[in-house]
Amino acid sequence: MAEAHQESSSTAGDFDLSQFYQIFFEEAAENLDLMEQMLLSLNLETADDEELNGIFRCAHSVKGGAATFGFSDVAELTHQMESLLDRLRRHELQPNSAMVDVLLESADASRGLLARHQAGGEGDAPPAADLVRRIKALVAGEMAQAVQSVAPPPPPPVVMPAIVAVQTTAVLAPINRPSNTTRSLEIRIGPLDHPAQADAINELFRDIEGLGDITVVTCNQADTRVFAVETSSTDADLLDLFAFHVSREQVSIKEVDNVAVAPETRYGIFDGAAGSPETSLYDDPPPGTPLAPPPGFGFFDGAPGAPVPVAAATGAAGGSSGSTASARAVAKAASPVVQPEAATIRVAISKVDQLINLVGELVITQAMLAQNSRALDPALYQQLLTGLTDLDRNTRDLQESVMSIRMIPMSIVFSRFPRMLRDLANKLGKKVDFVTQGEATELDKGLVEKITDPLTHLVRNSCDHGIEMPADRIRAGKSETGTITLSAAHQGGSIVIEVRDDGHGMSREKILAKARERGMDVSDQMPDSEVWMLIFAPGFSTAEVVTDVSGRGVGMDVVKRNIAALNGTVEIDSAEGYGMKVSIRLPLTLAIMDGMSVGVGDEVYILPLSSVVESFQVKSDAVSTVGQGAQLVKVRDEYMPVIELEKVFQVPRFDFDKSSDIMVVIEADGSRVALLVDELLGQQQVVVKNLESNYRKVPNISGATILGDGKVALILDTGALVRRSRH
Amino acid sequence: MGAMERIGEMTSAGAREYLTFRLDQEEYGIDILKVQEIRGYEPPTRIANAPNFIKGVVNLRGTIVPIVDMRLKFNCSKAEYDSFTVVIILNLHSRIVGIVVDSVSDVMELPPESLKAAPDVDSVIDGDAVLGLGSLGDRMLILLDIEKLMSGVDMALAPDVV
Repeated sequence: MAEAHQESSSTAGDFDLSQFYQIFFEEAAENLDLMEQMLLSLNLETADDEELNGIFRCAHSVKGGAATFGFSDVAELTHQMESLLDRLRRHELQPNSAMVDVLLESADASRGLLARHQAGGEGDAPPAADLVRRIKALVAGEMAQAVQSVAPPPPPPVVMPAIVAVQTTAVLAPINRPSNTTRSLEIRIGPLDHPAQADAINELFRDIEGLGDITVVTCNQADTRVFAVETSSTDADLLDLFAFHVSREQVSIKEVDNVAVAPETRYGIFDGAAGSPETSLYDDPPPGTPLAPPPGFGFFDGAPGAPVPVAAATGAAGGSSGSTASARAVAKAASPVVQPEAATIRVAISKVDQLINLVGELVITQAMLAQNSRALDPALYQQLLTGLTDLDRNTRDLQESVMSIRMIPMSIVFSRFPRMLRDLANKLGKKVDFVTQGEATELDKGLVEKITDPLTHLVRNSCDHGIEMPADRIRAGKSETGTITLSAAHQGGSIVIEVRDDGHGMSREKILAKARERGMDVSDQMPDSEVWMLIFAPGFSTAEVVTDVSGRGVGMDVVKRNIAALNGTVEIDSAEGYGMKVSIRLPLTLAIMDGMSVGVGDEVYILPLSSVVESFQVKSDAVSTVGQGAQLVKVRDEYMPVIELEKVFQVPRFDFDKSSDIMVVIEADGSRVALLVDELLGQQQVVVKNLESNYRKVPNISGATILGDGKVALILDTGALVRRSRH
Repeated sequence: MGAMERIGEMTSAGAREYLTFRLDQEEYGIDILKVQEIRGYEPPTRIANAPNFIKGVVNLRGTIVPIVDMRLKFNCSKAEYDSFTVVIILNLHSRIVGIVVDSVSDVMELPPESLKAAPDVDSVIDGDAVLGLGSLGDRMLILLDIEKLMSGVDMALAPDVV
């Protein structure tokens, strides 16, 4: 159990989830709004699959997010909504207005619950228990009687409104999760030689989120500590946890009836906590912050680059960097939470795009002015030239800032996962290592937002279905701990994001069998790649059990759909027993790249600087031929294939005196080739534009950009050029 | 289709306006609503291994736009680039494409009754892409369904398989 304690605090040190709260709240609000709209426009008699799937997906997304962030009340409610919607979309139930009503009310309740979490747990929690019961009744539907006798609905969750809020502000409380098994306990620890030992228990509750709420109760015995605890864990679990700090015999746990606790008592608790000496042993965590990390890690100071400044958490975190006294002063203030609106604004991507295009135009105009002004006499036009220099600098700065609006590193997406995986692995009893590669790869904001959901699904799937239980892994001769790798890289005009796991992979037979069961047109002769693609069909799942994690077969079709909407592709590679790999390839809709411009004939091409190794002037005798035509050049004991850009792109040549005599060595996919060009023109940052938005894919070209003179230059696809040399 | 939409289509069909342009000796008309703007010709950036009628791509205020020379597409005897040569920028299904023509003549309104079905003749133009023939005094106007024409597989403007 010591392990659990250590692990949780170290995990908290690795990353800070709270910076994503705001994103989640915004997304959830959008999803709930969308769901409401769809519910309202739903035609009950003729509801088609598309509509029902859409509503289902909204609930699914909210649930997924809520579970990731530990808002279990929201997750529970949306899980029930999802169950109902799932039966609807499978046509096991006929939608009726009662269902729409309860779903709409549930959406409202979810909003209320979310708003409460957003405010840091302040205020009354909307009662969700009744809704959960109603949904369950509807889900049970026709098969009600039979099921009810087997599984009576669990007791309604104990809702602890205002009082909890008081406790949360005063005490080191992790997020309050009214779950339907919450019990109120009085834990008495003692007699102890060193009463401070028991304070570690306090810390335990703070560090292990979800364990429950703890309050120090004043006690007249000096060698004994008394805590009031709200928890859903069993006595045995608690004892196990405590055993790390105090011996089992010293702990006594008594259940108290939480309904009967009089308000005076609670305020007594509150007083005791605020005034008790032991609380001051710690730096007070920011009051009202859900999932407050132990202070001292300095996350907030260290995260200036977070593109979406965090709302509630940041507000409260301001207090954590201050002194204990000031933090307490905030705690006593009525509303310690700073409203998030001031920190960020959400703007339509189209507006940003327009801005980017306009700035692009401005830069080109500026370049033109600069070019034309070179002929002017500096003595006569000094002021004009100074102005132009200023313009040059300002446009550059402007362009940089505008570009930075859209580009964010993949780490923003990746850092969402360790926490989610950890919770998930714990829940499933699996051991999983999470490895990320290429976090610095910059990706367009629009893409990042859209890629997050699919990636979440894939990572969840990997953990839930891919990685085996530790015992099974050992039996299969693998290490007990599975590994899930998430990587991102620029590759030949695309961004490739891979989710890999070393789990048991997919079974071809199972998928084919399932596909037949579902009446899909399959044959045993299908190549593996096609078999894997079957799992993208809506509702397809080979999981034996539907957990609240995954297994409903939603996920994969959503993944495919989301990625297709980004003009991307998904590929699956799997080896049964060894794991699987899902590669997502996204086009560079907008990315800035360092490019090297090279001249061939009268044309200009751009090479991604990242793939340029070196360039040199070549002597005619350095090139040798192999067989018929294939040319090789020797560069420091290495023979490299030569690609003449002039031939590849059929560049017309008017000036026959000149010929290509400069080689640029490029590296891609692990191999090198030498490109034969006429001249090197320079290096510059280029904005990668998509050729495919108005035209089509051009072989050996990954995109286009606009040069200083307003002309279009094509960007070479180095990956394709290297592959070309292999054939 | 609702009744209102049908009425809308009839009235708009009644008052349809066409932009007319010349290719060599022939005069063509296209739906004015598909036209985004008209620009002078500027040499585009050539795209290797593209069909000859695709002249390349140009920068249209930050957007990369392919340029199709209709004279080459329709096998006109000559395709010169001079000060009259213009590029009509079309907006088709949110894809933007420019077409090079010899000159733009006019915008005219044609009542549907003055349209005559095009006889089946062997031509470089896909029969489906011709809406009909309009007569303007002694001149003949070939009305094109530019959307259909540009989205044809032989135009090679869009990805082959989506």
